[in-house]
Order: sequence, then structure tokens, then C-alpha cells
Amino acid sequence: MRLADPAAMLAYVSLLFGLLLVFFPISFPKIVLHNWQSARLTPIMILFTVSLNLGLYLKVTYQRSARPGILASACLGSVPVFVLAGLNLLLQATIAHTLAGDIRNAPARVDEEILAQTFFAMIAAIFAPFLLIRLGQQFHKNNS
Amino acid sequence: MVALGIHELTADWTSAKWLLWISLYAGFGIVLPRVMTLAWAHQHHMPMRPGLKQIFEHGELGLVSLMLAISVIWDLQKSEYTSYTVALGSVFLALTGIMAGAVWVEAYCRRFSGIRFTSERAWRDSRNLALLVFSLALVTEILLDRFVKVTAL
Repeated sequence: MRLADPAAMLAYVSLLFGLLLVFFPISFPKIVLHNWQSARLTPIMILFTVSLNLGLYLKVTYQRSARPGILASACLGSVPVFVLAGLNLLLQATIAHTLAGDIRNAPARVDEEILAQTFFAMIAAIFAPFLLIRLGQQFHKNNS
Repeated sequence: MVALGIHELTADWTSAKWLLWISLYAGFGIVLPRVMTLAWAHQHHMPMRPGLKQIFEHGELGLVSLMLAISVIWDLQKSEYTSYTVALGSVFLALTGIMAGAVWVEAYCRRFSGIRFTSERAWRDSRNLALLVFSLALVTEILLDRFVKVTAL
């Protein structure tokens, strides 16, 4: 597994996010914020990232005629959950920090912080498992 | 929590300026070297017509990506996002930029040491990682632009 393998798909996901922001600058953020407020955003992102990661991994193993590993599959399934849960806590801290200060237009800033962290969290959740798999493969190669 | 003044972020075509911005990097970093190569070949009456794959077959696209990542990290550091958001974005941009640059370094090391080197692989890896860095940079700048408009309300 090379890190360039998921890079192209991740780039397309990122570009899609960007195009939605440019062409739907009000409705798309409203959808994200509404789902975050109703505590649906994290489960939706977990479902999306895990499905995408597993699909990418199976595609790469098929192309290389390799067998999917159990550890790698477990990593792809569990790491996005931990990453998104952890970054959700970070987002809570960000919101508390923004609202605690005497900042003008704090609610609007919070909305933009949620949007930005949603984007970075999605990228992290898709990329982190492949990074761990790659590090594991390097470690295994060095030790064998 | 409803965003105040979000109507101020109504799409105007200034939001698409980031496509123009990213096109400058693509133009100067990728298209210009090819144009200069063709111009040189023409000037010296050489029949060569290299494509982007041949010009960047040693992973040089990674260097362009690294420069782009650095400029976006700088913009992020100057923004008024909270430190958590700035750190998160900076880490990911730096990580992807370094990985893109590492393709060029690895290609050089393999060629120098005589270890098996495939230019096809170097081109493919640097192309995919450059695409990733470009897309992350574009979305980050769009988010920064929105945030500036919100803080100006």
C-alpha cells in the first residue's frame, strides 16, 4: 500500500467539497451545520469514510492481485472512528473557546469553524488509516 | 445556532477567484516548464516533444506541491481561525506537502544508488500527491476567504 494510492480519490473528495462550497455557499454549509446540531454529522462521516476506505483498499488489493489483510481491514474500519471522535472533541473545544471570548459575530465564526473542521476531519479520517498501514508495512519490512 | 449575516456569503463570482489562484500555480509550476522546454527545443532545432510525464518523471511535481503547501500554511497561520483549526489544517497541508516532496527525494536517491527505479511509478505518485495538495490548498483558501468575509461583518 503506497500513500499515493488513496491520494487521488482523496483529492476528488476534497475538490467536490470545494465545488459545493463555491456553487452552494449557503445551502451546503446549512446542511452540514444542521446535521452537526442534530448529532448526525459524525455518524454520517464515519459511514462515508469507512466505506470509501474499504472500497479503496479492496481496489488496490485487486489491482495488485494481493489478498486483503485482516489487520489492514481492521485498521481501515476502526481508525476513522477514533479520528472522527477525537476531532469532534477538538471541535467542541474550539466552539467553547470561540464563544467564551468577547468576539464580535461569534456564532457566525463558530459556523465557519465547524465547516473548516468538518473538512479537515474528513480528510484526516480518510488518510490516517492508510498512513498507519504504510508505517506498519515499513516497520514490518525493517524487522523481517 | 444560525449563522448571522450568512446572506453576505451569497455566491458572487469573486468566490471563484480561487480557481484562478490555483491556476496560477498550475500554470507557472506545470505548464510553463513544458512551454519553456518546447521553446528550447525549437530554438536548438531539436525534434524532442516531451510531455508532462517525461518532464516530471523524477517526481519534480512534488516540489511544486511543497511550495504551494507552504504558502497556504502561511495564509492559515495569519488567519483568525482558532489555534485548533489552524493547527489541524497546517499539519495536514504540511504532511501532504512533505509526502509529495519526498517522491522527488526518493527518486533521486534510487537513481543515485542504483536501486530499482521506475519513472512511471515516480510520475504517478507525484501526480496523485500533487493533485491532493492542490485540492487541499484550494479548499483551504476558499474556507479562509469565507472566514474573512464573516469576520468583516
